[in-house]
Amino acid sequence: MTQYIIRRLMWVVLVLLMITLIAYVIFFVMPPVDPARAFAGKRPTPELIETLRHQFGLDQPFYVQYGRFVQRLFLGDEYGWPGFGFSYATRSPVREELFQRAVITIQLGAGAAVVWLLVGIPIGIVSGIKRGTLVDRAAMGFALFGVSAPVFWLGLMFLFIFWQKLGIAAGTGYVALSENPVEWFGHMIMPWIVLALLFAAFYARMVRGSLIETMGQDYIRTARAKGLSERRVVVKHGLRASLTPIVTLFGIDFGTLLGGAIITETVFNMPGLGTYVVQSVFRGDLPATMGVVVLGALAVTVMSLVVDIVYAYLDPRVRYT
Amino acid sequence: MVRSRRSRGILAALAAVALLAAACGGDAEQPREAGEEGDLRGGTLRVQMESFVHECNFDPTCEFVSYANMIHTNLLQRPLMNYRHVADDPGLEILPDLAADMPEISEDGLTYTFTLKDGVMFAPPVDREVTSQDVAYAFQRMASQQQGNPYTYYFEGVIDGFELQKSPAEDVEISGIETPDDKTISITLSDPVPDILFRLAMPGTAPIPQEVAGCFPQSGEYGRFVISSGPYMLEGSEALDISTCDSMEPIAGYEPDRTLNLVRNPNYEPATDSPEMRSSNPDRFELSVNTNVDDIFNRIVAGETDTSPDDPPAQFLRQFAEDRERLPSNPVDVLWYIVMNLTQPPFDDIHVRKAVNLAIDKDGLLRAAGGELVGEIATHILPPTMGGLPSDEYDPYATEGFAGDVDLAMEEMAQSAYDTDGDGVCDAPECSGILHISRNEAPWTEFNPIIEDNLAAIGIELETREIEGGSAYELVSTTSENVPIGSHGGWGKDWPDASTFFEALFTSGAIQAGPGVNNNTGLVGITSEINEERELGIEGNLEGIPSIDAEFEECVAMELGQARLDCFNEVDRILMEEVLPYVPYRWDEETHLISDNITKWEFDQNAGEMSFAHIAVAS
Repeated sequence: MTQYIIRRLMWVVLVLLMITLIAYVIFFVMPPVDPARAFAGKRPTPELIETLRHQFGLDQPFYVQYGRFVQRLFLGDEYGWPGFGFSYATRSPVREELFQRAVITIQLGAGAAVVWLLVGIPIGIVSGIKRGTLVDRAAMGFALFGVSAPVFWLGLMFLFIFWQKLGIAAGTGYVALSENPVEWFGHMIMPWIVLALLFAAFYARMVRGSLIETMGQDYIRTARAKGLSERRVVVKHGLRASLTPIVTLFGIDFGTLLGGAIITETVFNMPGLGTYVVQSVFRGDLPATMGVVVLGALAVTVMSLVVDIVYAYLDPRVRYT
Repeated sequence: MVRSRRSRGILAALAAVALLAAACGGDAEQPREAGEEGDLRGGTLRVQMESFVHECNFDPTCEFVSYANMIHTNLLQRPLMNYRHVADDPGLEILPDLAADMPEISEDGLTYTFTLKDGVMFAPPVDREVTSQDVAYAFQRMASQQQGNPYTYYFEGVIDGFELQKSPAEDVEISGIETPDDKTISITLSDPVPDILFRLAMPGTAPIPQEVAGCFPQSGEYGRFVISSGPYMLEGSEALDISTCDSMEPIAGYEPDRTLNLVRNPNYEPATDSPEMRSSNPDRFELSVNTNVDDIFNRIVAGETDTSPDDPPAQFLRQFAEDRERLPSNPVDVLWYIVMNLTQPPFDDIHVRKAVNLAIDKDGLLRAAGGELVGEIATHILPPTMGGLPSDEYDPYATEGFAGDVDLAMEEMAQSAYDTDGDGVCDAPECSGILHISRNEAPWTEFNPIIEDNLAAIGIELETREIEGGSAYELVSTTSENVPIGSHGGWGKDWPDASTFFEALFTSGAIQAGPGVNNNTGLVGITSEINEERELGIEGNLEGIPSIDAEFEECVAMELGQARLDCFNEVDRILMEEVLPYVPYRWDEETHLISDNITKWEFDQNAGEMSFAHIAVAS
């Protein structure tokens, strides 16, 4: 297993390099805006733009710029390790901003993950066990709503109903946990629920389908024939097998969320990685954009590795060499 | 009915969550303290916006957009000259701010000598009096190439010896700026420049303490360390450790893309200022970014935020259309226009350009943008707020209700060589498939069908490409792209003089090569020689393009006053009747939605934004 993990970590590095190279190429081939021009003001001169291009390092060939980016990333820069350079927009180290915002995005993602697991899996289980009943239909109706309702619409509706009309929710914005835990929770609960609903609905359907398939297996019949309680049959024998695909899915979903839940963060005004990358792309702030790309790619690849390790624990048949 | 213990447990948990959310949800009602009658001081002004729109990270040496300009000149910076920060004409009058009085001007009109006021102090931690060397240092920063800032344009060739130098700011030498003592600064010009006092009111010219700013040689870096000389300062300024460059950590009051909080400068002495320039009413300004625009205005309605510089969405304009106290509106000195490239067919024919001006439904465009709350229909270039003629006095392409007139347009088109059969419809091959650049956001997405239909009626078929605003500017401003027509653009003054509307937009000297640098997008005054010499890459008809260079030079040499204004109005007429690179369609208005907490509203005509210098809040 150790060798397997080491090999996978090397793949993580390779995947990171590939993704950052593609992102860099996209930025050069289809730049959203020339950052030097954007910061040159109302009456730019070619000399001013050249000065800014030099400050930003944009006067170097593509491969030199990319090489410097990789060097900074792995060896660090004057602002620390890993090095992400400085933001064209704020002239501040990207690293500090990235990590501050990553904390917020992690809180958003983790909380939503807890909600969608707590909601989606039980609904899927109940629906799978009570297949064909009213409970099953209601659960799948919820699932249909959850996968159909756009996140931005859900967010706006939640704000309209719970904040604007009923006045029982805290509204948009973010309060740090260290500043005021109660207000922190109050500001996070709606984004958690909104973000989780789509995943909860999807997971409910997945768990239902997987459980139905598992419960039809011979060993389940054997377990019942042995006289085990239905609860034991479902939980100990049925669930364990049917949840393995959920583990894989969860890892990818959570990893992707860590790159920034753009729509939820925008609707609820949360200063996370999602809003950061949108602002950065529109401003042509390449270092900031690449920083988010690196973190997002890292999150997905690392979570993928974690998922594989957990999979081996859940399914004794799986062994890595 | 709940059947199982597990189900009841789940419901109980959900109920607990709901109760907890209710307990911490919604801001508790804060008691509003009304100030004593007549006393406007105190309270906190809360402003939210979709983004700070800082061009240069709030660094005064390179910040120039309206909002940052307003904050700096209203609250943080004391340049030699300044404005009253009020609406209309009184807001465009220039007054001494850091200067004790208007300058002494030498007989040849080249040297301006200012005496600084006593007692103007930098905020903590600098804690010392502002000197003439601090003003000179601001100019040195602008002349340092390391800064890479846009202010150089306004002073290079204007102040004697002011030229871009490779040295760091502290080593830059400007022969035309002298500081014989701490209280005196003299500025010598290369040639007489009648509008020099306006240039000296820009935030980049305000005094800057070298002991702090010297640590930040590149443009934008100083923005998180700005030391105020005005009535307010960045919150947390006093905690800045200026003992060494390495010891300085960004001031907590400004977090880019998140918050900008300003509190009173304890070193500010009101006796050095004038109430007509600054009332300085609120104790605190809280500016924050909110990425949900609808939420910003919902919060204003709910009283949780006081105002926003963002345009109110249409539903809020409708909701408060009758309550103008909550929806103040002020004309700003901004023109929105459609530009036609004079070198690109069919717009290289003035009859076609006139036909386009007659065909465009300007009333439709105004309604699409939001109606009279967002502006008035423009009939020529110079806005009336800048001294231009009102629309009822000068409308060279008048149509009934400003709705466009296809018949008149066709009459004009029939005179064009692009109408081969003289039936009033452009039918030459050059009339179809014309690239039209516009923006991919409201209201331009609503404009484009109107523009396309209007021009299709006279045979001009556009292929509209809607792209992001910055990209649209860059594309149309790049001469080698040869874009025939663009409706993305607008222009606002740099300072309250008509020259700032004409020089960059219509003189041949302003045409430059390079991506996104040319503001004279109609290419007025272009010649083949200029095209070759400056390597502009223009491919099109370069013969006989009219120019207003001579007229502009004549006007800009005049002293400020009515004669100068009349001269520029004549340039406007020439542009509209003999050159015609534009279809001007709207002179802008800024409309703000404000909360009940605002007890006094004022508008800064020069900055084109709400006036922080005079606004007041109840709590």
